[in-house]
Amino acid sequence: MASVESSSGDVIVFTPKASKPPPATTVGVLGWLRENLFYSWFSAVLTFATLYLIFITVVALYQWGIADAVWEAESRRQCLDTSPHGACWAGIITWFNAIMYGRFPDVEQWRVNLGFILLFLWMAPMWFPRLKGKIGIGIMVVALYPFLAGYLFAGGERGWFMQFMVFLAVTAFINSWLHVILSLTTGRTLGEWIVGLTGFTDKHERLHKYPHLGFTAIVFAIVYFFLGDWSVVAVNTNLWGGLFLTLVIAGVAIVAALPGGVTLALARRSNMPVIRVSAIAFIELFRSVPLITVLFMAVTMMPLFLPADVQLNKLVQVIIGICLFAAAYMAEVVRGGLQAVPNGQYEAAKAMGLTYWKSMNLIILPQALKLMIPNIVGNFIGLLKDTTLVSIIGLYDMLLMLKATGQNPIWIGLHTEPLMFGALIYFILCFAMSQYSQSLERKLKTTL
Amino acid sequence: MAAVIERESRDSRSTFAKIVNDERNRSIFYQILVFGIIGWVCWYLFTNTTANLEARGMASGFDFLGSTAGFSIAWSIIPYSPTDTYGYVYLVGIVNTLMVSLLAIVLTTILGFIIGVLRLSHNWLISTIAAWYVEIIRNTPLLLQILFWYLAVFSVLPRPKQSIDLGAMGIFQLNNRGLYFPEPQPGDLFWITMVAMLVAVVAVYFLAIWAKRRQLATGERFPVFWSSLGVLFGLPILVYLVTGSPLEWSIPELKGFNFQGGTKLPPSFLALFIALVIYHASYIAENVRAGILSVSHGQTEASSSLGLKPGWTLRLIIIPQAMRAIMPPLISTWMTVVKNSSLAIAIGYPDLVAVYMQTSLNQSGHAIEIVAMVMLFYSSVSLTISAAMNYYNERVQLKER
Repeated sequence: MASVESSSGDVIVFTPKASKPPPATTVGVLGWLRENLFYSWFSAVLTFATLYLIFITVVALYQWGIADAVWEAESRRQCLDTSPHGACWAGIITWFNAIMYGRFPDVEQWRVNLGFILLFLWMAPMWFPRLKGKIGIGIMVVALYPFLAGYLFAGGERGWFMQFMVFLAVTAFINSWLHVILSLTTGRTLGEWIVGLTGFTDKHERLHKYPHLGFTAIVFAIVYFFLGDWSVVAVNTNLWGGLFLTLVIAGVAIVAALPGGVTLALARRSNMPVIRVSAIAFIELFRSVPLITVLFMAVTMMPLFLPADVQLNKLVQVIIGICLFAAAYMAEVVRGGLQAVPNGQYEAAKAMGLTYWKSMNLIILPQALKLMIPNIVGNFIGLLKDTTLVSIIGLYDMLLMLKATGQNPIWIGLHTEPLMFGALIYFILCFAMSQYSQSLERKLKTTL
Repeated sequence: MAAVIERESRDSRSTFAKIVNDERNRSIFYQILVFGIIGWVCWYLFTNTTANLEARGMASGFDFLGSTAGFSIAWSIIPYSPTDTYGYVYLVGIVNTLMVSLLAIVLTTILGFIIGVLRLSHNWLISTIAAWYVEIIRNTPLLLQILFWYLAVFSVLPRPKQSIDLGAMGIFQLNNRGLYFPEPQPGDLFWITMVAMLVAVVAVYFLAIWAKRRQLATGERFPVFWSSLGVLFGLPILVYLVTGSPLEWSIPELKGFNFQGGTKLPPSFLALFIALVIYHASYIAENVRAGILSVSHGQTEASSSLGLKPGWTLRLIIIPQAMRAIMPPLISTWMTVVKNSSLAIAIGYPDLVAVYMQTSLNQSGHAIEIVAMVMLFYSSVSLTISAAMNYYNERVQLKER
């Protein structure tokens, strides 16, 4: 405390004057505007010009898309008669169902919805904080969900293998959620519960798998008892379409791309010349040609490559082509990650006496994939966008459905509105993916 | 316990186990296995294919290249008629593909650099708009954008009678049949001007070398940029005027229902070109932004402390270093432009894939040969571009001691 005793004996305490507020033009809204929009006369001109451009664009879009738009009409003619310079959203409303599901029969569309809801429910625990066994749930989703979804979407007769896998998937789904509910309410995992109930707690950990297996078998039996005769009618894949088909193709490609890419990348960095050269040839071939040529090859040449009695439908051919293409691109991303892991990590893993696969799975790949998250997700976004190319081959994905809207005799010429609507959907999907990858990157960032 | 077991196993290790556990032998075994699998797959596909070809009575071989194609192509840069051969169709397709790709590459690079720099603008409004441009364009499929430009923009343009007059000079006419513009028709002596252009380019090249040598020796700078510009434009124009302006322009004019004279670009070309430019510019913008940001601020400060003017700092310090980071992704974007130009097939622009892989393949039925030839073209473009990139990278990479 700066205090001085004056000659008269009073204590004088130094109290500084309150500092003056900063000039009004440097703080608050005004300061921000000066700093960011009007810091020079040129910048001011630029700002006003841009504002004017934004203004006329927004007004024109509002006029076209909302003020003058037609929401209810029977045909494009009627739209034009009602409002010649407005958007014809009536067409989108009429075609909405087709844009979403293609020609999937109306009464069966609940299966598509159910399939995606199940996927969402099954994946949801991955985002719950402090939950054990997330990796197990993730592996179960990737390994078993395709069978369940495949049956839900395609339907029809199922052989003994499909029968088994579908019910295994349902069992796994029930087990996953039992596990989640138990863990969140009591703090003990499903595995611990089962072990505790059957009195295996004292026994060796190696024996714990028997109660687990037994429990799974019981759930499986119950599921089978209730759903054993359940079946849905077959829906031919040429009726699949719209956003549904887009998501199916993109989903399969995304799921296949990562393991395929990792395998190819490891092969490319292998010490064995035969394996390395084969991997390089495959990757470079698929990366140097456009996807559309790969799709053409899949459609025109695959029937020639296979024995005459094997008939693949077009969807399967296209999916195989896209998967090969996606794996080649993903391989280069993964290779970038492998090269970015410092050499010391490889040497340390070797020094610890880890085998090749153990050092890859435990040390190298986790670091490499984490480094490459933005690129991997960027690749997934690219794949989702690339699925639009199947429309050229004649599969009714969302883009071809949007195009078909304007080719329908009643709605002929209606192109702008469907394409803008489709662009919005693609944008939402891709933008959400890229934002999620950025948040994931921030969360997993370990370096300072 | 474990040690005992280990010792026992070591003692009882047979020569067989020794061979199996040797890493070199394992490596050879795996390679033979992979080789065998690949060989078997190839053999399987090959036998299936020959059997299928025989069963369908399809011929194989490249003889079809000499036979007449017989279909017409909507628009081509080099002259084409239905009596030409399949081999010539291949060439027509390649030229059409390269034409649209090269033009798109030039323009998309310019636009991408502008947007990339705008994203770094101090002006918040400008940088935000540039950022949203990049986000919106990058997150919608290119094919959708191509269809949008084709179906929603160029197909709904007015008929030739109500053409939009671009530039209001009456020489650039835009309508639903395409963009009409004047066509140069060189006269007899025009070749002298062409030679002059060539001479000017060579002269500028040597001028640059000389100026650099002089600067290294004496420290004096020579205004290379302005003098080059003068030579590049001055010499050909001078020669052109001296030889008596031997260049006529054929200007499009409305006669009846259509334009006569001049030349035109069809709507499919315009749609593809604009979509390619706008789409890839967003990728280049991101590269440019990242490249400029990768030059550390210390470089700017160091150059100001040496007394360089801001313009010189940008030109001599920042851009050369940023280019090192920008070039590799930029070149791979160029490669993507060439590959993505194959989406032309969706709107009927006759590029290589459309005329050769679709029309010719459907007509001749030589699926394998045609697919292989198309893939060969794209692969060789890719290989050429990546070879150029490797050469460039070697030249500009940091020379560390």
